[in-house]
Amino acid sequence: MIGVIVGVTLRQVGRQRRMLVLLVLALVPVLISILYRFTADNSSERDAIEFASGMLATFVVPIVLPLAALLVGTSALGQDIEEGTIAYLLAKPLARWKVVVAKMLSAWLLTYLVTLVAVLGSGLIVLTGHEGISLVPAFVVACAAGALAYVAIFIALSLRFSRALIIGLGYVFVWEAIISQFIAGVRFLSIRAYTVGIADALTDVDAEILTRSLDVTPAIVLLVLLVALGGWYATRAVTRFQISERV
Amino acid sequence: MTGPGQMAASGSAPAITLEGVSKWYGNVVAVNDVSFEIGPGITGLLGPNGAGKSTILHMMGGLLRASAGAVSVLGEPAAGNPEVYRKVGIVLEREAVYGTLTGWDFVRMNARLHGLPDVDAATRRAIDLVDMGYAQGRATGGYSKGMKQRIKIAAAIVHDPQMLILDEPFNGADPRQRLHMIDMLRAMAGEGRTIVFSSHILEEMERLGDRVLVIVSGRLAASGDFRAIRRLMVDRPHTFRIVSSGNRRLAQALVGDEAVTSVELDGDRLTVQTRDYSRFITVVPRIARDSGVTLRELAPSDESLESVFEYLVAGVRGGQGGDS
Repeated sequence: MIGVIVGVTLRQVGRQRRMLVLLVLALVPVLISILYRFTADNSSERDAIEFASGMLATFVVPIVLPLAALLVGTSALGQDIEEGTIAYLLAKPLARWKVVVAKMLSAWLLTYLVTLVAVLGSGLIVLTGHEGISLVPAFVVACAAGALAYVAIFIALSLRFSRALIIGLGYVFVWEAIISQFIAGVRFLSIRAYTVGIADALTDVDAEILTRSLDVTPAIVLLVLLVALGGWYATRAVTRFQISERV
Repeated sequence: MTGPGQMAASGSAPAITLEGVSKWYGNVVAVNDVSFEIGPGITGLLGPNGAGKSTILHMMGGLLRASAGAVSVLGEPAAGNPEVYRKVGIVLEREAVYGTLTGWDFVRMNARLHGLPDVDAATRRAIDLVDMGYAQGRATGGYSKGMKQRIKIAAAIVHDPQMLILDEPFNGADPRQRLHMIDMLRAMAGEGRTIVFSSHILEEMERLGDRVLVIVSGRLAASGDFRAIRRLMVDRPHTFRIVSSGNRRLAQALVGDEAVTSVELDGDRLTVQTRDYSRFITVVPRIARDSGVTLRELAPSDESLESVFEYLVAGVRGGQGGDS
C-alpha cells in the first residue's frame, strides 16, 4: 500500500516544474566547486577543507536541503488536497498513518535526491585526492537525517496552514539562518544545527564552521522527536480531514 | 409508497441511515435536520445546485462529518471508519484524477490500494464495465470530461462494492455514454446493490431514479417514487405569459374557463395561472380564435427547476407535498 502511494506521489511531485528549479539550485554549489577546483589548483589541504566544509555547511545544508524539503514537503499531500485527488487515498480501507508514512517517504526521497546531487557534486569535486574526503560521507548521512526532519515538519505544516510555504520560508531563512546563528541557546530548535551536528560527529575533519552546531546526542534525540511529532500531527490531521465540495 | 424519508425496501435493513443530520460551516447551514433511510436499488437525490445534495453524499461517503446527527452505512458509522470502504465506492463531482497516470494505471492503483488479490483482473473488469478499454493506455490528464467521469467510476467499482455513491455522475457525458452508464448502474442495482446518485436534472432522475429524495435548501422536501414526485410537479399551478393582439379581450374570455385560476393584466402583459396544464394549453388557442384575438406568444414563466422545487417545499410546509 505504502509503495503504491509512494509511486504515484513520486510521479505527481517529481514531474512538477519546481523539481527542475530545485535541481538547478543543487547544481549551483557543484558549479562553484568546479570553478574552485580549476582556479585554485595549488590549494592547500586546509584551503580545500575550509572551502568544502563552508560550501556544505553554509550553502547545501542551510539552503538547498531546506528549500527542497519545503517545496516537496508542502506539495506531497498539499497537491492532493488542492486537486482533490486525496479522495482516492482516503476512500480506501487504509490506516491513515500509512498515507502519512508514504507521503513522508516520497518527499524524503525527492528531497534527498536533490540534496545528494549538491553534496556529492561539490564534495567530491573539491575533496577528491584530499584527506578531508571523509566530509562527503558524513554529509551524505547527515543530510539524509536532516531531510527526514524537514519533510516531517513541512508536511505537518501543509496540513495545518494554507500558507505553509511562507511559514516554512520564515522558519528556514529567519529562524534558522539568522536567529539561531546568533543565539546559540536556541539551536536546539534548528534542524540545520542537528544536520551539521551529525555531520561533525561522523568526520574527524576539523573545520571551524562545523563546531557552530549542536552536539550529536541532543541533535539525534531532537531530530527523532521532531520526526515523530510531525508524523503524529500529520496522521491526526489526515484522520480528521474532511472533503466537501466547498474547497 | 413508504412514508416520508422511509425509502428502505420492506423487510430489508436500510443500507444508509441519516438521523437528524445537519451540517453547517460557520454560520451557514448546508444541511438542516435531515432524516431518511435508503435501501438497496437506485435512489436519486434531486435538487437545485447548492441545495446540499453533495454535502449529504459526502457525509454518506464518510468524507465529511455531520455537525449534528448520525450517518450510518451498511450498519456502521460512515465517518472515521476506513474499513467501510471495502464495501463502498464513491465518485465525487470534482474532475480530479492523477493526470500523469494512464486510465489503466489509475484504476489499477485504486485496486492495489484496496489490497485486491487479483489486481489486473479487477482492473480489466472495471474498465470493461465503463467501456473505457479503448482509452486505457492514454494519460487521464488528456481525457474529456465524460471520459474522466467514466474512469473515476471504474476506479470506484474496481473492488466490486456493495454500495456506490455518485455525485452528479452524468456531468459531461454524451447521450450514448449516459445510456451506457444508466444500463450499468441498473445492472448493479439489479444485483441487490445500493446505488445513490445526485442530479439537478429531472430527465436523469426520470431515467434512473426509481426512488427520489428531493433536497431543497438543505432540507428533505419530498421523497417517494419518481412518478409521485413528477405528478406533484405537473399538478402544481403553472403560470403563463401571453402576448396577443388584444390582451384585454383575451383576459375576459379566459376568466370564464375552468382551467384558469387567475388572470392578471398589467399594461401589455397578460399573466395567467392554471391548475390544469394539459387542458389550458389546448383551450387557449381556441378561446383566442373565438374572441378574434391573434396569439403572438404563449410561454410558461416559472418553469425553472428552482420554481418547481420552491413549490414542492411550500407543499411540504403546507402539508400537501412529500409522499402522497
